[in-house]
Amino acid sequence: MLKQYPTARYILHRGGWYFLTFLVAVTINFFLPRLGASNPVDIIMGKAGSGLDTEAAREKEESYLKEFGLVQVDATGTILRGPDGKPLKSSNVSQFFNYVKMCFQGDFGTSFQKYPKKVTTIIAEAVPWTLALQLPTIMFGWIVGNVLGALAAYRRGVFDRVFFPLALLLSAVPFFAFGMLLVYVCAIKNGWLPAMGGYAGDLVPGFNFDFFKSAGYHYILPFFSIFLILAGGQAIGMRSMGIYELGTDYIKYAKWLGIKENKILLYLFRNAMLPQLTGLALSLGGMIGGALITEMIFSYPGLGMAILSAIQGQDYPMIQGCTLLVTISVLIANFTVDILIGFLDPRVKAGQMGGN
Amino acid sequence: MMGMNKFGIPLAMMGLLFITGCNKENKPAGQEETKAGGFARSKTLYLGGSQWGDPNSFNPLTDWPAWPVNDKFNIMFETLLAYNTLTGKFEPLLGTLESQSADSVVVVLNPAAKWSDGQPVTSADVKFVYELGKRFKGAATAYAIDFVSDIKVSATADKAERLTFMVNKKGRNNPLVVLDFLQAIRILPAHIFEPKLAQLKDLAEVQKLKCDSNPVVSGPYNLETYSNEKIILKRRDDYWGNAALHGGKLAGPQFIIHPIYKSNDAFAIALAQNDLDATQTYIPRIWMKKNAGVMTWYDKEPYFVPGAVPTLLINSTRYPLSDKAFRRAMAFAIDYKSIKDLAVSGYSPDIKPGAIMPFGIEAGFYNDEDAQKYGAAFNVESAKKILADAGYKSVFKADGTLDKMIDGKGKPVPTLFVKSPAGWSDWEAIVTLAVKGMRAAGIDVREGFVDAGLYWQSQPVGDFDLEMIKPAASVTPSQPWSRLAALMSSRTWAPPGEKMNENQGRFNNPKGKGYIKAVDSLLSVIPTLTDKAALTQAYRQLNILFMQEQPALPLCYLPEQFYQVNTKTWTNWASEANPYAPPNLPWAGAATKMLWELKPAK
Amino acid sequence: MTKLLKNLLKSPSFIIGMGLFLLTIGGALLLPFFYHVNLGLQASSYASPNGKFLLGCDHLGRDMVSMLIEGLRSSLYVGLLTGVIATTLGTALGIYGGFKGGWMDDFVNLVTNLFLVIPSFVVLILISSSLSKGRSLTLIGLIIGLTTWTWSARAVRAQAASLKSRDHIALARINGANTFRVLTLHILPYLASYVFMIFILQVASGILSEAAISMIGLGPLDTVSLGTILNDAKNQGGFGDGMWWAFMPATVIITVLVFALYIINTSMEGVFNPRLRK
Repeated sequence: MLKQYPTARYILHRGGWYFLTFLVAVTINFFLPRLGASNPVDIIMGKAGSGLDTEAAREKEESYLKEFGLVQVDATGTILRGPDGKPLKSSNVSQFFNYVKMCFQGDFGTSFQKYPKKVTTIIAEAVPWTLALQLPTIMFGWIVGNVLGALAAYRRGVFDRVFFPLALLLSAVPFFAFGMLLVYVCAIKNGWLPAMGGYAGDLVPGFNFDFFKSAGYHYILPFFSIFLILAGGQAIGMRSMGIYELGTDYIKYAKWLGIKENKILLYLFRNAMLPQLTGLALSLGGMIGGALITEMIFSYPGLGMAILSAIQGQDYPMIQGCTLLVTISVLIANFTVDILIGFLDPRVKAGQMGGN
Repeated sequence: MMGMNKFGIPLAMMGLLFITGCNKENKPAGQEETKAGGFARSKTLYLGGSQWGDPNSFNPLTDWPAWPVNDKFNIMFETLLAYNTLTGKFEPLLGTLESQSADSVVVVLNPAAKWSDGQPVTSADVKFVYELGKRFKGAATAYAIDFVSDIKVSATADKAERLTFMVNKKGRNNPLVVLDFLQAIRILPAHIFEPKLAQLKDLAEVQKLKCDSNPVVSGPYNLETYSNEKIILKRRDDYWGNAALHGGKLAGPQFIIHPIYKSNDAFAIALAQNDLDATQTYIPRIWMKKNAGVMTWYDKEPYFVPGAVPTLLINSTRYPLSDKAFRRAMAFAIDYKSIKDLAVSGYSPDIKPGAIMPFGIEAGFYNDEDAQKYGAAFNVESAKKILADAGYKSVFKADGTLDKMIDGKGKPVPTLFVKSPAGWSDWEAIVTLAVKGMRAAGIDVREGFVDAGLYWQSQPVGDFDLEMIKPAASVTPSQPWSRLAALMSSRTWAPPGEKMNENQGRFNNPKGKGYIKAVDSLLSVIPTLTDKAALTQAYRQLNILFMQEQPALPLCYLPEQFYQVNTKTWTNWASEANPYAPPNLPWAGAATKMLWELKPAK
Repeated sequence: MTKLLKNLLKSPSFIIGMGLFLLTIGGALLLPFFYHVNLGLQASSYASPNGKFLLGCDHLGRDMVSMLIEGLRSSLYVGLLTGVIATTLGTALGIYGGFKGGWMDDFVNLVTNLFLVIPSFVVLILISSSLSKGRSLTLIGLIIGLTTWTWSARAVRAQAASLKSRDHIALARINGANTFRVLTLHILPYLASYVFMIFILQVASGILSEAAISMIGLGPLDTVSLGTILNDAKNQGGFGDGMWWAFMPATVIITVLVFALYIINTSMEGVFNPRLRK
């Protein structure tokens, strides 16, 4: 089938495997939290039940168990009980099918911790912040890093000798520790920039100049905490790829042919760029997970903070919703890379055509 | 609203959405045009520490409303009485305390009290909240009917409503808890909620309403707007209490903003940078922030007024903790001074034996002679002697650290673990230090920091050797009874594995061999005692029993509903030198009156 | 192999990197003999650096130098553990998938992607919630190792796939050598230096991951690591109060350690690919 369209076959083939990965990930994603010993209702009860006596606490607990679908109920919504009077727990399998059904309806369930808020609502509120912080930072860091790396590869000499160790050192700093350092110097010690938050304390998000000005002001430190380290890492990769490509036969041949330097550089970058593109796609896919600690250091109101509090509160539906989001974005990023390389890299392309 | 849910994620994921998505649906109707920066710093009070998660609902009928509808804060909805945690007295709010006895508590409603829609606050509103449990078992205030059997309404000479809260003699027969209710249960507008209950039929449906758009309240502030990062209240200039309670004055701050930070260190930074006027969070080494304008109740150690007792709960059903001598040895082995100095920044007076606090309101029930005679203070030698007398042997390694313990029969004693949630920084430090002391005395105890989920789960079923808790932490009229009951009551005793909400260490099994009946009879009689001498005597006996039996190990005292303030924007805060209000944030209990006394700094 | 080593020793950056790395290892192993490591409570909370406590104290009044020595040992342990696990797993699966191709390759790819999409912190939370004794350093090392092998698998896979078509390998296959033999005798030796470079990077990423995991409060309990020192600095207020000794020295040590590993890696790259050396 599709023998005459190797590219389409390649895409379908890879896509199929990615879809399978997705299904397995969703299943694992659901069952892993339930292997743990703790039950989220106990955590809620730890707080809700603190002023109550034993009987009142028991009643309250049952109402939560019912709310989160952890016990079996009959058609009228009454909790089914075993012979000992204790509520019957609903099985993991029935919970799973319920979960899958809800996911298809775009409903990730209700957050345990931020009850009665929907997981989708929490994510929708937080994602714009994370995207606004991560997307431009990653893109910008990637571009600057690659340009500098390519320059270092092409020019070598003093520039390279100073630049390369510096970039290497930058990429070795744990990015959160770098963030702490920035806050320490720029906010705590000298008070040049705000230490935390996404916007000033006396504002409410909205479309107006004051809000955007304030958000921009609060953007500077988190931006640099990611940007510099990311750019350093990208520059190192680009530099080695560039130097490698400079020595390949086709470049030598092109030089020998007397092709203009600009044109040679263009070839060079096209080929050196491939692995770098992979890196870009992967960091874009992984940005939600990566946002976690940056947002924690800067108390930034994004998805990372939401995941963090979900972790601390053992909020399964929220953790599940977020990991699902991470899963989807990482898979899409990987798939895009695979396809991209399939199209751009003649070597891989040849491989697809020739089969094994 | 639904559209936002469905399209928010894909849009955002494509990176097309910049900030537009956030908080739209949170915004109360009519607030879209809120002008940015409309909250001038000099007119706004920033208070923090009561709301940690996203504000989800301002519905007072739910279990988890956002600040200030949660807890016993009375700036939107008000309680009948305000409790002064410094003097132990009730102050008038929606009502005035007229009399109290073992059978009833009488409160007169203030006839001036009005809802923000102009309707008067009446006995119907009070009965609505207190008796909701009769109609709906899942109501947040359902427990009230176990304690209050009826509310009788009569008229006073000047035509105000007099409410007589009848103590439920057939139920829990506990007038102390009824007093707790009067300063904790907020009165809600029945004329707003009854039609909603009638229309939606079920309480669970009404609980789903957010009540975030111009709610009808009786308090001095009302909800202006909110987001996931802050809650903003605006002063109600037509608040009934301005004339009736505060001599015609308006409260000082025009706005109150409660920023929502996610960690303790964020509060410390915000307070030092004057982005926050007051917070009730744990901020270590507060004296270092004096230059930044930060002050506390006391100028010197312990800086705060104590209100809670972090305690190691002992599981009395497990060997060797079932042995009273072993428990007593533990109490002698802990270096309480190092806990106070290193773990809690010195925010605790020196601890004295027993479960009653030796100062403040509880001081009257505390007896120093008893403590000398029966109590355990830090003394490693005493600890070692008690262990040796009971037949325990501690084996130390060559480097002086503890290897293991052997009991009188020559059998090894199992290593005991102290369960405490990982990541609760001040508790971790307290546990580390307690363990250090006990090991030095030859008791084989280890830190067992566990996931918070596991911690909460283990507590009611008694799945622990030792566990960190703060028994009945809030300062209420029922203290120290509620703390003693939380530590010793066998009223609902159940074997480990079944759930208990008090005395989770399973001390004093009513069906066990050495059952001490006096503990439970004292606990049930204390709430009904009105004679001061008899009450003091009963508390003395109970505290002696606590010291003799040592069912738990109190470790230090810590402030509760405390505050530290930055005086750069607002001044004239209550303090030891100027104690016109109790040492709580100005939204809790009787401390609310501080709002009318705050003055802008120059 | 010896020639390679000689070349490596001629590279100044390799010497610098290796020197720095050995220095940190030496510090972790030998300092306890010269310096009295004492994790006891000795002074007040966050006592500032002085003659007795060269880098001050932490929130419990523990000597920071002792904490850093202990933390460095923990971080190295986690790094090496992670490095060994991730490199072994990644190399084995990568070589096998790359060499075999076909559905086997696809399956390995699926497993790789699976580990890529389930973040290690999620696994860690879930596992630690089911362990009553809490998280140990070894458990954290194991989990980091088991969740970060994926990219070494990808890297090795690409290399193995390119080796597959080489003449001598084809020859070995024609001569009837089985897959295991081809893989271990004919492919692995070609990849040895490459695998070693991957190992170096995995150690570095293990050290960084431990610090990150501790930073979000999922670090080892009852153990001091460089990550828990940083976490304490933030949570116990040392950072907010501007006590530089609470977090700066730990940051510098992690950075130097990872920097040293990166230099080793790039200098090796330079030796294997002489064009990079100029």
